[in-house]
Amino acid sequence: MSDKLSFEFLTRLNEKYKIFSQLINEEEFLKAEGRYHFHFSAKDNLCTIDFQSRAGSRILDGYTPPFDATAVRRLRISGGLLIGKTNMDEFGFGTFCTNSAYGVPRNPFDPDRSCGGSSGGAAATVALLDGHIALAVSTGGSISCPASFCGVIGITPTYGRVSRYGLIDYSNSLDKIGLICRSATDLRTYLPLISGPDSLDPTSCSQPILDLSSSRIKRIGIPKEAMEGISGEVEAAFRKAIEITEEQLSIKVEEVSMSSLRFALPAYYVLATSEASTNLARYCGMRFGIVKDDVNAHFNTFFSEVRSKFFGKEAKRRILLGTYCRRIGFRDRYYLKALSVRQIVKEEYLRIFQDFDLVVMPTMPFIAPRFSDIQKMKPLDMYKADFLTVPPNLVGMPHISLPCGYYHGIPIGFQLVAPHWEERRLLHFAECWESVFEYQFPEVKL
Amino acid sequence: MKIGLEIHLQLPTTSKLFCSCSTSATEPNEAICPTCLGFPGSRPRLNRKALEMGLMIAKRLECRIPDVIWFSRKTYFYPDLPKNFQITQYESPIGVDGKFLFDGKTIRILRVHLEEDPGKIKRVGRVGEELSLIDYNRSGVPLVEIVTAPDLSTPKEARDFTSSLITELRYLIGISDKDEQTVRVDANISVAEERVEVKNILGLRNLERALEFEFVRQSKMLRAGKKIPRETRRYDEERKVTLPAREKEFEEDYGYILEPDLGVFNVGEIAELMAIPETPLMRVERLSREYGIGLSEAKKIVFTSYALADLFEDLYSKYPTSKALSWILDQLAANWSTLEKKMTEDMRNSILTTIGSILSGSISENEGRKMLVSIIKGEEFVGASQELNNQEVTKIICSILNGHPEIISDYKTNKRAANFVIGQVMKFFKGRYSSDEVAKLVINEIERRLSR
Repeated sequence: MSDKLSFEFLTRLNEKYKIFSQLINEEEFLKAEGRYHFHFSAKDNLCTIDFQSRAGSRILDGYTPPFDATAVRRLRISGGLLIGKTNMDEFGFGTFCTNSAYGVPRNPFDPDRSCGGSSGGAAATVALLDGHIALAVSTGGSISCPASFCGVIGITPTYGRVSRYGLIDYSNSLDKIGLICRSATDLRTYLPLISGPDSLDPTSCSQPILDLSSSRIKRIGIPKEAMEGISGEVEAAFRKAIEITEEQLSIKVEEVSMSSLRFALPAYYVLATSEASTNLARYCGMRFGIVKDDVNAHFNTFFSEVRSKFFGKEAKRRILLGTYCRRIGFRDRYYLKALSVRQIVKEEYLRIFQDFDLVVMPTMPFIAPRFSDIQKMKPLDMYKADFLTVPPNLVGMPHISLPCGYYHGIPIGFQLVAPHWEERRLLHFAECWESVFEYQFPEVKL
Repeated sequence: MKIGLEIHLQLPTTSKLFCSCSTSATEPNEAICPTCLGFPGSRPRLNRKALEMGLMIAKRLECRIPDVIWFSRKTYFYPDLPKNFQITQYESPIGVDGKFLFDGKTIRILRVHLEEDPGKIKRVGRVGEELSLIDYNRSGVPLVEIVTAPDLSTPKEARDFTSSLITELRYLIGISDKDEQTVRVDANISVAEERVEVKNILGLRNLERALEFEFVRQSKMLRAGKKIPRETRRYDEERKVTLPAREKEFEEDYGYILEPDLGVFNVGEIAELMAIPETPLMRVERLSREYGIGLSEAKKIVFTSYALADLFEDLYSKYPTSKALSWILDQLAANWSTLEKKMTEDMRNSILTTIGSILSGSISENEGRKMLVSIIKGEEFVGASQELNNQEVTKIICSILNGHPEIISDYKTNKRAANFVIGQVMKFFKGRYSSDEVAKLVINEIERRLSR
């Protein structure tokens, strides 16, 4: 940890960048001073007993859970001080962090640009605070995307590696808790702390032990389909990074074909919204979501009122999409078909991993966009921006986004994917990469 | 008339289906936790015991059990459902294509699956000022749903079927005695072509009533030349009628998706290794098959008591006669309930020995009956168990032979001549002594006189 953190600094940082949806209060902060080993933040969809946990949604305003998420609890008992809940797109629904009910976080490299989503607050906080560890969550790219836009490291472990107990669900078969930080050293320190089986989440219980011992990376594959539709500046930075990899790290990088790549995005949106629309059913004003005690209306009317009033626009869109995909007559065509597509994409990855140690591609097709440009985008354009982050998420394979270049000072990232449970390959590559590429962090002026 | 049933029964586990909350709380909202209240971020964990019970039921109903099963989310909005989806099974029930033999008839079982119960709504207060209170103790309690093919043909049969199914399951996994009143059934009934579904019938009595009402209603409509519309109805217990259910309440599109938090379960092997204890109906079938007795007799024995059935098996394996069966059925089954209360090992042995003696002919039936009565009353029996009073008997034999001297000469050519004397002696002593022993004495006396 470098500079000592001050409460005033945090407050002013948040005022400028809107990175937290709730910040630790001064009293708690001062009480903890000198008594913690590191400071960390948790994305707002991770349950915490001492902070509201609203998942960026107005419908959960005022909700403080009765338990800590396992990942939060594990960092606390390891001596971490939770300094705040980071801002996010409502329930994780977004690529630019513009769908939060609690303000839009700003990119530390350029406040007119997006910090990415949905773990935007988390990535921006890490870019702004040296030594900070951010617990983030990815469903379809919500760690890689903001990490790339904010010039930091974002690791999304294998599905099931980190217990999801206490994660406010977006899409349970896709949600993964990971870390955003500044260095491979931090990854090596903090990833083991949050990993491991947890009886409170059965899907975390069949994992092999996290082995971070060194591994050799000899060959990396680039799916050629991944390079279609990449902006010039991203492509240039990416090609340069590949050159460095080949020349300075002596790793062979070859193009491969991955024809199923283009099916990953539609399959992902079908599955994710299908699950989301059931997860969000509970926010109806009955037990969760702006609960009123004295209600005198038919439950249907009352539930609809609460949901219409307090869900944001994107949440409603995804509930509708997901409900549609699950309906009789559409279920086979969309939901069940998407499950098969997921299998096909997985098999294609596994085929590639027979010859390659990792798969690499740019993380995002463009650099962090300006808010004014985002306003002009249609929902479908926004969904399309996820086409490179979605595939590894769809199949639950671990991946990492690392800064790989800068375009007029705006960071660009590339994303590496490893086979299930092989986080150590990502870590090993990150360590090698740091030895040949220098990360830049923004100058913080308050 | 064709009737098909969907029967919901609570599994007798001590904890809920997906959390460790107790299933036997008494105070409202006493047994609740983040999981059964659907808190965001809580996760279900499957209760292994419930899975085993479900598999046992599927196995008993001779279902095909898949190697792998999973759970699904059935989404609908209702105030008693904390998550607004129910975790149930859709594509992969724990059992399919089974059957249940009952009163000589085969009822096909379409599927058996596990699911969680919602909470319970209680309406209190005066009409117009009603208040709805919700008790979540029931939320997450494990249920098994058993779906039959439309193989039942009368309301009475539907009731009897459900009743014997419940009895079976009580022996199999120990479901509660209250289940006859608390069993929840959805019934499909078609008098003509079109199928009418009556939802949410509580208890066996209501089941029969609701079906009878539907039978009459549909028959009347048919006689009046009307068509029966396909619809969903509910049973009004107080007015004892079925009424059309509001369409919205039973919107059929539940948008099933897989429950991603639970994953898949390899149950094939567990089911294979699982031993099924013999249930009453299984025993009825076995008794009938092994001992060649009628199903109805076997049923009477087994349903009187398992102990009686044990006794029957001990006896019948030595004396496989219709007489043995009638001793069991006429003498013992009738009084079994009082008998069973005071039954001891000694008493059981005496009963077995006595009936054995009767069947082997070493004591007379009359004698045997009296002995049984005494054994049952717990008295020392003074009679056949007592030494035969030779002197007394011989005295009577002599007086008969003295009165009928022709018997001695007849006996020389026809040994059966002795039977008259035996009969007279037995009659005199009102069957107090065993005919075998009396016969021995009679023949001794005749031979003695002949050799003289």
